[in-house]
Amino acid sequence: MLRSSPLLSLFAFLLCWGAALVSAVSTTGNRLLAILDDVGEKENYSKFLGDLESRGFQITYETPKSESLALFHLGERAYDHVIFFPTKTKGLGPNLTPQILVNFLNAKGNILQTLSSSTTTPNSLVSLLAELDITLPTERTGLVVDHFSYDTLSAPETHDVLALPPPVPVRNDISPLFSAGAPKDALLAFPHGVGAVLGPREQLTPILRAPNTAYSYNPKEQSEVLDASDLFAAGQQLSLVTAFQAINSARLVLLGSAEMLQDKWFLAEVATPNGGKPVKTFNREFAKRVSAWAFQELGVLRVNWIEHHLNEVTAVNESNPHIYRVKNDTYTISLSEYAYDKWSAFSLPANDVLQLEFSMLSPFHRLPLSLDKSQSTPEASVYTVSFKLPDQHGIFNFKVDYKRPFFTNIEEKTTVSVRHMAHDEWPRSFVISGAWPWIAGLGATVTGWVVFVALWMYSAPPTDKKNKVGSKKTN
Amino acid sequence: MRFTQSFALALLLLAGVAQAASWGFDDGTVSVVAKRAGETGSKERFNSKTPLTKPVSLGSTDTLKISLTAKDNGQEKRPHQAFVILKEKETGLEAPFPLTVKENGKAVASITHKDLPVQFLITDEPLEASIVLGSFGSSKALNAPVFDVKLQKDPNVPLPPYEKPVRYGKKEEIHHIFRADPKSPPKVISIIFALAVLATVPALFISWVLLGANLNHLSKAIGAAPVSHATFFGSILAMEGVFFLYYTSWNLFQALPVIGAVAVVTVLSGTKALGEVQSRRLAGER
Amino acid sequence: MSAETLQVLADVGKGKSTRGVLRVIILALIAGASIASRLFSVILDPWFNFRATKYLVANGFYNFWDWFDDRTWHPLGRVTGGTLYPGLMVTSGAIWHALRALTIPVDIRNVCVLLAPAFSGLTAIAAYLLTNEMTTYNSAGLLAALFMGIAPGYISRSVAGSYDNEAIAIFLLVFTFYLWIKALKQGSMLWGALCALFYGYMVASWGGYAFITCLLPLHAFVLILMGRYSTRLYVSYTTWYALGTLASMQIPFVGFLPVKTSEHMPALGIFGFLQLLAFLDYVRSAIPSRQFQTFLWLFAGGIFVLSLAALVIATSAGVIAPWSGRFYSLWDTGYAKIHIPIIASVSEHQPTAWPAFFFDLNLLIFVFPVGVYLCFQELADEHVFIIVYAVFGSYFAGVMVRLMLTLTPVVCVAGAIAISTILNNYLVAKTPTEEDQQAAEAAEKKGTKSGLKSATKPVVGIYSLWSKSLMVASMAVYLLIFVMHCTWVTSNAYSSPSVVLASRMPDGSQHIIDDYREAYQWLRQNTKEDAKIMSWWDYGYQIGGMADRPTLVDNNTWNNTHIATVGKAMSSREEVSYPIMRQHEVDYVLVVFGGLLGYSGDDINKFLWMVRIAEGIWPDEVSERAFFTPRGEYRVDGEATETMKNSLMYKMSYYNFNNLTLEEAFTSENWIIRIYKVKDLDNVGRDHISAAAFEKGLKKKKATKKRGPRVLRVD
Repeated sequence: MLRSSPLLSLFAFLLCWGAALVSAVSTTGNRLLAILDDVGEKENYSKFLGDLESRGFQITYETPKSESLALFHLGERAYDHVIFFPTKTKGLGPNLTPQILVNFLNAKGNILQTLSSSTTTPNSLVSLLAELDITLPTERTGLVVDHFSYDTLSAPETHDVLALPPPVPVRNDISPLFSAGAPKDALLAFPHGVGAVLGPREQLTPILRAPNTAYSYNPKEQSEVLDASDLFAAGQQLSLVTAFQAINSARLVLLGSAEMLQDKWFLAEVATPNGGKPVKTFNREFAKRVSAWAFQELGVLRVNWIEHHLNEVTAVNESNPHIYRVKNDTYTISLSEYAYDKWSAFSLPANDVLQLEFSMLSPFHRLPLSLDKSQSTPEASVYTVSFKLPDQHGIFNFKVDYKRPFFTNIEEKTTVSVRHMAHDEWPRSFVISGAWPWIAGLGATVTGWVVFVALWMYSAPPTDKKNKVGSKKTN
Repeated sequence: MRFTQSFALALLLLAGVAQAASWGFDDGTVSVVAKRAGETGSKERFNSKTPLTKPVSLGSTDTLKISLTAKDNGQEKRPHQAFVILKEKETGLEAPFPLTVKENGKAVASITHKDLPVQFLITDEPLEASIVLGSFGSSKALNAPVFDVKLQKDPNVPLPPYEKPVRYGKKEEIHHIFRADPKSPPKVISIIFALAVLATVPALFISWVLLGANLNHLSKAIGAAPVSHATFFGSILAMEGVFFLYYTSWNLFQALPVIGAVAVVTVLSGTKALGEVQSRRLAGER
Repeated sequence: MSAETLQVLADVGKGKSTRGVLRVIILALIAGASIASRLFSVILDPWFNFRATKYLVANGFYNFWDWFDDRTWHPLGRVTGGTLYPGLMVTSGAIWHALRALTIPVDIRNVCVLLAPAFSGLTAIAAYLLTNEMTTYNSAGLLAALFMGIAPGYISRSVAGSYDNEAIAIFLLVFTFYLWIKALKQGSMLWGALCALFYGYMVASWGGYAFITCLLPLHAFVLILMGRYSTRLYVSYTTWYALGTLASMQIPFVGFLPVKTSEHMPALGIFGFLQLLAFLDYVRSAIPSRQFQTFLWLFAGGIFVLSLAALVIATSAGVIAPWSGRFYSLWDTGYAKIHIPIIASVSEHQPTAWPAFFFDLNLLIFVFPVGVYLCFQELADEHVFIIVYAVFGSYFAGVMVRLMLTLTPVVCVAGAIAISTILNNYLVAKTPTEEDQQAAEAAEKKGTKSGLKSATKPVVGIYSLWSKSLMVASMAVYLLIFVMHCTWVTSNAYSSPSVVLASRMPDGSQHIIDDYREAYQWLRQNTKEDAKIMSWWDYGYQIGGMADRPTLVDNNTWNNTHIATVGKAMSSREEVSYPIMRQHEVDYVLVVFGGLLGYSGDDINKFLWMVRIAEGIWPDEVSERAFFTPRGEYRVDGEATETMKNSLMYKMSYYNFNNLTLEEAFTSENWIIRIYKVKDLDNVGRDHISAAAFEKGLKKKKATKKRGPRVLRVD
């Protein structure tokens, strides 16, 4: 009955709209496209999708075969983000060719791609991943098992549900976005997942790596014997959840197990063979963080402003001048980080530094910027450094090249010219002690000249005969 | 509720049973076979309890042969996973080498330099080899370090090229090295030389005076052409003054007009003044 | 025509004042003609000078002096104020300010365009003055002025719009020589000082000032060797040297070079030598002992040898810079090709072809030796100067096409002397009488005893009116032909600016190929203000001036390494070039391609120089040999070598040649200019080859077994 009331529905709409405004939303847009084999399948993911909707995303559900499906409309992105759930079809049709998907990334669209060992991955997505230097097992499917850390509750025989602690960063200077705040004994369920092997590219970062003893095999052909030459990958080379961030900060997350996102595994409890207590999975929080990262809600940095000026107490102290001379100089940058719904001051991960390069052809200076508390606000942190410009004229760049795993790329280049010393900026000659004899010489010449002129004009011929020869020679 | 509890209990029980069964192996041997005909290198036996103390050394043309018999709870059986995992201790990089396992649990693997990843080939550290045996079901899997492998490199063969991959992260700091400022000699020396230069002035004057220089004609000259003599000498002094001001404060465009003006005065008054000097010379007074 | 009528005609010009007025009118007409003959077409050419002048006018002298130009030589920038000869810009700036002070509102561009013709008028007058110092015939001066005004050798560098240093430098050169002769003749400090002043102006204007710096000491030295040391020489030379050197050191670009480099050492050496001579002269006059004199001469010789040794030691110790490469190339024409390809790559620096002498000087090249011969006949100090100048000028003009410019004034002077002598002998209406001849013969008999034989002259004259008129008529014809030739050369060869190519259609109509300006305009309108353009240095000034975009290298070739970097980028494979272009922040690459039109001055034609210059710096990475076929041919067709085919330049020249790191941005109407945009790094981190293959829809090859051991991923 309520729904029939137009006024109320309008009210409800406004409320929702308002809620969408205040509630979290991605920094790059909220149009999300979900690709499923069958739209009905979304019920399996209702909690995950519900979480997304509550964070402000407008989800459109499409099947790959849909005629109306188009990632671009009139050359502009029609969606901001895409989720691929596992599909059984071999190809994804002409609307989702790998070229279109790469273009989607190039147009700053984000992709969350999920895999499952029970379905083969569509060709199009395999090609896309190949372009990103991510390799999937041959036959486009595989199953990751680990005989040491499987979930004893759901897969005591098959060992294909891995129970893993939330991932710690692969290096100690990477922000622990995905594990921060997790309970100590939290476990992730990774059911029936596919592992991928990553190439050496720096744009790739594994979010979750397989444990040392895990390996991937093809359940159809290698269920009995794992032939030595057919092993796809094992151990930490096997990446279960992979983050890719393009140069334009477009993101792609490859989630090895689509089932991770299902309601079932949001609610399930898991236990490891080491005899730990069964605990509720960390999947829901992990799924939230992974999707938030993929859709530019997490790890998004913003440069608010950049300022540089001469660090001298002089009359003219212009801000952001175009030209400098060999002198002291201060460079300041203001950064903010976005988390779900708000911009806050960005703080560097432990062991990491923000660096400023002052470069022409190659860097002359690469200096750490330090946090300037006096200028920082809760919304923005300000980093600053003062240094002496190199004694080399040329066209230089102030360059902050802060590219880190899990953060959007910051590459700020501010070009300034550093000029040579002007002719009147050198120390005067009387300041230089080495020049004193020459200045004395000048004085001597001037005095000698003036006196000579006087003598030449006003001297009478010497009366003494002896001196006659040497007296002023006249012309 | 009760049902689930009892179910969980049953599972725990099951797990407890699984704990009992576990994978292991016997007859673990590792041998290094040289390529040269028939020459067998060292052969050592190992077990899962205590790793070998001495590293096995593997030459660049040798083959490392590992064989063992896998057992599940004492029974010879083929596990699904039978790996030798080599680990580079410094970086923690690992590479698995599956053993070829027969039905009866007999497993062999051979490893040569060619099979190793490049990161292992360039390191000097010994590699840690462990045996991993595991399979589906409840038997507990085994992961036991067994021995170390030391790679003997052929000094004649260059190390394979390897460049550390680019990773986003902080970089080395760089500080520009400034050119040294130009140096002046010690001030004392400058002062001495400056004084020496200045000393030439009195020396010159004295020698002039000794040669008979005087200003006896001054009154005569002034008397003959007072204005031109005064302005001429004044303009010469003024010119020096302009130069001094140019040196200290003026710029070119301030100095040039003044120089022009003074020069005109010098020329005009100079013709008269010097004419007077000439007249004295013609009169034989110089 | 009878003798009387001629006499009447000649009488008109007899009166002294009439002659003076006539001379002034003729000179004015000559100056006018020399200006007019340079106005065939007007297109501003060396754009850099114009840019610099605009900067000077807009920002004032001191800012210009300290100008750091951040739009050239990216990313090094150029300390322009300290690396140019400011004379030209300051001259136009001063003229502009003067005209504005006279309330004549004129655009600085017009001043720049018309500066060279205006100065050529002054050069004609300077040539008149210089020639007048050589001979008593006034007609010689007027002829010299006329020749100077229209000689193609000089017009080539001074047509309207040719806003280059030479535009004012030739005037300064001739005028400095005039003042030098004047100072030398009179032994005058005032003229010497004036000479130094103009020498300073010359130094401020053109690098060719070294010609004066070497010629004047040489003249002095020859005079000394001829035993003609005099106080006149002493006064004029020392005045010139002291003041001139001080003046030249005021130019930042020159700085301490006059006391540091070998090119300037002759002047310093002669200065010292003259002091020594003056001292000895004084001693000789004071002490009449003959033996003592010989001792003194020995002493002088010893000092000379010692100072020479000191010079050699100082040079080898590095205190004095050795002769610069540019100077060596003047002695050994093959030197530049091997050691400094950047100099040899300029067509102006090639040895002169023989026809060029005739083309640039026409009639004058024949009468030039006659004039020099006549100088031998007189052989006063000033004639020695002409002889020395003639010898050296001819040599240098033979070594480098460009130096034809320095030869032209002396050719004009000597030619004018020769022709005026001929005309003066044949254009005399009066027939000599018996008495004249006898008197002359008597004088000759007396005269044979003294002086050189060649120095005596018969003062007889020509009897036959026929031979007179024949001679005069043929001279007149020659002169007319000369004028026609000059006009033709000027209008056809020297008035076509390099940015606009003119060609003839089959039906004879003129067809203008304006691709350069089209391309520069495109750059100006379609690229970012600070888009960096990479091109070979020949086009640097034009891009900077007409397109107003920063360039990597330009016609001021001060940094050989930077030019070699561009050469390397052009001559290497794309995988090598791309990082270079990224490092230098290149946005666009501009190449000149003449293949469609058969235009020979394109980049493929210059390509070998790029290779050579790059090879000079990176002999391991670039090899000229690799661009030649095994049979030693330089081919660009199907048989081009692999290195050639893979070079960036080759790929850019031909259409759609599978460029991976560049994409075509613009091609001009006749394809002469092709502009490419440098692609960004691939967004997802692939190399450009695989990215391009993917775009084309090629299936990625199944990861083929790579050679070498496998690589684990390290995080």
